[in-house]
Amino acid sequence: MKYILQRLAFYAVTAWAAITINFLIPRLMPGDPVEALMSRYQGQLDTTAIASLKALFGLDEHQSLWSQYTDYWSHLIDGDLGLSFTFFPTPVGEVISQSLPWTLALVGITTLISFLLGTGIGVYSGWRRGSWLDGLLPVTTFISAIPYFWLGLIAIALFAVKWQIFPAAGGYDNSLVPAFDWPFISSALYHGVLPGVTIVLSAIAGWILGMRNMMVTVSSEDYVMVAQAKGLSERRVMFSYAARNAVLPNISGFALSLGFIVGGTLLVEMVFSYPGIGYQLFQAVGAKDYPLMQGVFLIITLSVLAANLLADMAYALLDPRTRKEA
Amino acid sequence: MSVRRRHTLRALSAATAVVALAAGCSSANSGANKGGGAGASGVLTLGKPDGPQTNNSNPFLATSASATLGYRFMIYEPLAMTNQIRPTDKADPWLATAWDWESNFTKVTFTLDKRAKWADGKPLTAADVAFTFELLKKHPALNGNGIPYDGIAVEGEKVVLTFKESQFVNQNKIITTYVVPKHIWEKVENPETWPNRTPVGSGPYKLKTFTPQTTTLTATPDYWKGETKVKELRYSAYNDNSAATTALANGKLEWSFVFMPNYKQLYIAKDPKNHKLWFPSGLGIHGLWFNTARKPFDNPALRKAMAMVIDRKAIHVQAQATLYPEISNPTGIPLPAGEPFLAPEYKSATTAPDVDGAKALLKDAGFQLSGGVLKDPGGKPVELTFTDPAGWNDYITGLSIIKDNIKQLGIEAKVKTQTAEAWGNDVATGNFDATLHWTNSGATPYDMYQNIMDGAILQPIGKSAQLGNFGRFKSPEATAALKEYANATDDPTRTKAMNTLQKIMVEQAPVVPTAAAPIGAEYSTKNWVGWPTEKDPYAAPQHTQPDALEVVLNLEPAK
Repeated sequence: MKYILQRLAFYAVTAWAAITINFLIPRLMPGDPVEALMSRYQGQLDTTAIASLKALFGLDEHQSLWSQYTDYWSHLIDGDLGLSFTFFPTPVGEVISQSLPWTLALVGITTLISFLLGTGIGVYSGWRRGSWLDGLLPVTTFISAIPYFWLGLIAIALFAVKWQIFPAAGGYDNSLVPAFDWPFISSALYHGVLPGVTIVLSAIAGWILGMRNMMVTVSSEDYVMVAQAKGLSERRVMFSYAARNAVLPNISGFALSLGFIVGGTLLVEMVFSYPGIGYQLFQAVGAKDYPLMQGVFLIITLSVLAANLLADMAYALLDPRTRKEA
Repeated sequence: MSVRRRHTLRALSAATAVVALAAGCSSANSGANKGGGAGASGVLTLGKPDGPQTNNSNPFLATSASATLGYRFMIYEPLAMTNQIRPTDKADPWLATAWDWESNFTKVTFTLDKRAKWADGKPLTAADVAFTFELLKKHPALNGNGIPYDGIAVEGEKVVLTFKESQFVNQNKIITTYVVPKHIWEKVENPETWPNRTPVGSGPYKLKTFTPQTTTLTATPDYWKGETKVKELRYSAYNDNSAATTALANGKLEWSFVFMPNYKQLYIAKDPKNHKLWFPSGLGIHGLWFNTARKPFDNPALRKAMAMVIDRKAIHVQAQATLYPEISNPTGIPLPAGEPFLAPEYKSATTAPDVDGAKALLKDAGFQLSGGVLKDPGGKPVELTFTDPAGWNDYITGLSIIKDNIKQLGIEAKVKTQTAEAWGNDVATGNFDATLHWTNSGATPYDMYQNIMDGAILQPIGKSAQLGNFGRFKSPEATAALKEYANATDDPTRTKAMNTLQKIMVEQAPVVPTAAAPIGAEYSTKNWVGWPTEKDPYAAPQHTQPDALEVVLNLEPAK
């Protein structure tokens, strides 16, 4: 119990520090939102618009950094993330809530698939060394070494342009409106295939390699030999004795990777024009959109912290050594 | 294993549910036709790389989806329609049948078209027009053009605006103001932060559905100017250039504006019969801005000599991929848009490089060329650093061409890249030697020249000069000519001031024009014909420009 309280206190301090840094970093970057908007339009927006934009964003009133900071906290406690500059006057909460589900669904599902598939293949290839499965290793490692955007572009070039099997861009067909009906869901799944498959392909090698190596180590342990000597079935020894112990590092790796789901995968969203939070953050940084940047950072920070906490707890449960007092 | 599998399934269904829930649970897609461009069903697909949008149709905010995607011009209509690429042509009557300027452009009277009505059936009256101008006057945040409105009055069925100063240079901005309905906007408490999610305008289209990815507009059957051929406009936002280019190439996207270096191979070659591209220009330019407050660039002879050797043709072909129209006149006025403004002495002038002439000019000004190095009259070698944001490839290529060009004069230049933010900051505060940057544009070359050399907006080095004159160009003559042009009471005075400005631009070269700022577009004639072309330049071809409405109304189904 004391261990858990200690951890919670530690996370509270970390959260405070992270939120404060979220507040400071955007303000330390050069440039301001109006300037960024002007250079986005490259002359198509007249310089006479500057005065009106400053008035609009409320940048014409000077406020000290400290009072901005206290305002930021009081708004945060009310759950108010402010109005986005890029999409003025849309609230940041709305921008995030329209893009977050896409990221969660796509990256969440693909993370799960690559974890399960990779660990599964790792178990077999670690247990049956020298089989054809070993040939899979260099192939998957090779694919994961390919820069993701290139893999994505090749996938588009082949499956969306040369053979027009899958759509090249978007999260759903342009004629549809997001709704809980079959045309939309089928379209969303169909549009998710290419990005999904490429993510799995590029992420799976890590899981396979990690699992296989642990399997190799564990399978030479005495208790595995004992299990085999008892005459247990091959399957039972493989899963219940070897894999069960070997999977520990992968589980904690998985818990950590959950935290990064929320951060999204900018490259996926860029290459496939997929609606998600990574691209939103990218745009916010380019546009000096402090409120949106802070909002997205906050979500990412909190989810990484939550995932870490989860990993800590899981370890405390699985491995008694970590919760023992030194 | 089985337990884990059950978890997987649960996670999967939960995730699907999250997507669906966030989207709202209505069955909206029962009758939707799948697929992209479908001219047969009256759909026109358009869009550019803007990224996902949020539901915001406030036409006065440059940050709203209606402005970014450009659909505000399909819902709200202007009083008169100007042609961005032929700014000297008389505007077409639109909501107003006449606009009469009096007393040296300090008073304008609008006569409205009696047929005009709002999409909800109510008539569009003088009260609506006056209300719109009042709205802009009352809310500086909505007054993007910074027009100094003064008197706004309704006289019968006419609207009269009066101003304290001549609005000659702003006239096009004033007559193209789009009108919003009083009966809806007067109830809005705070129009600056109002997302206007069900926009009602007088235009031929109304908002059908909005999603972050696609905005669909559908034709209003009883549009006051008559029925339109295009029944549905589908605006899609792509996340990056390559996604939009792919969509253009495979025909999913029919009307767009994407910069693509090898457009012949990427776009035209995919369907040479239908895929068209046209990049005309208005009166804005891109040019090399010198920091005239730094030595030795304060010497006009040095600046002019550099202007004389820069190879615009090479910049046009190699840096701009022939997409940005070439600048062929040393005054920087893009042609043919600015033809009527050219001073007689520059009518036949060209921008062909003249290395010998530039060398002679430098010699006369006291510069010395020894051992391939140019030295200023004080004996110091002339060196400079060009700056522009990393990744802005057209600018960076342009700079390296200029670097090679001026090497012929013995000037050693370096090209330095920065982040866009640091660069923007340095340009505004005057912390640069020379940089490629754009200018303002407008109905006359005044906007461009004012942006480059107006002493009234001059800021000392270190203080941010966001309105222009980034090069700290100090010329009382130019400032006086600008003022005279804006306030002149007759045309000869105005012409004289414009000629003076051109002379200053050529003789003192505060900015070396390198390319005209294009208002370009890619469009497909597969399903729709009637687009503006070089031969028939009735409107700017870009879909985010006000005259996009004219283009859409002119489109007809292809046979």
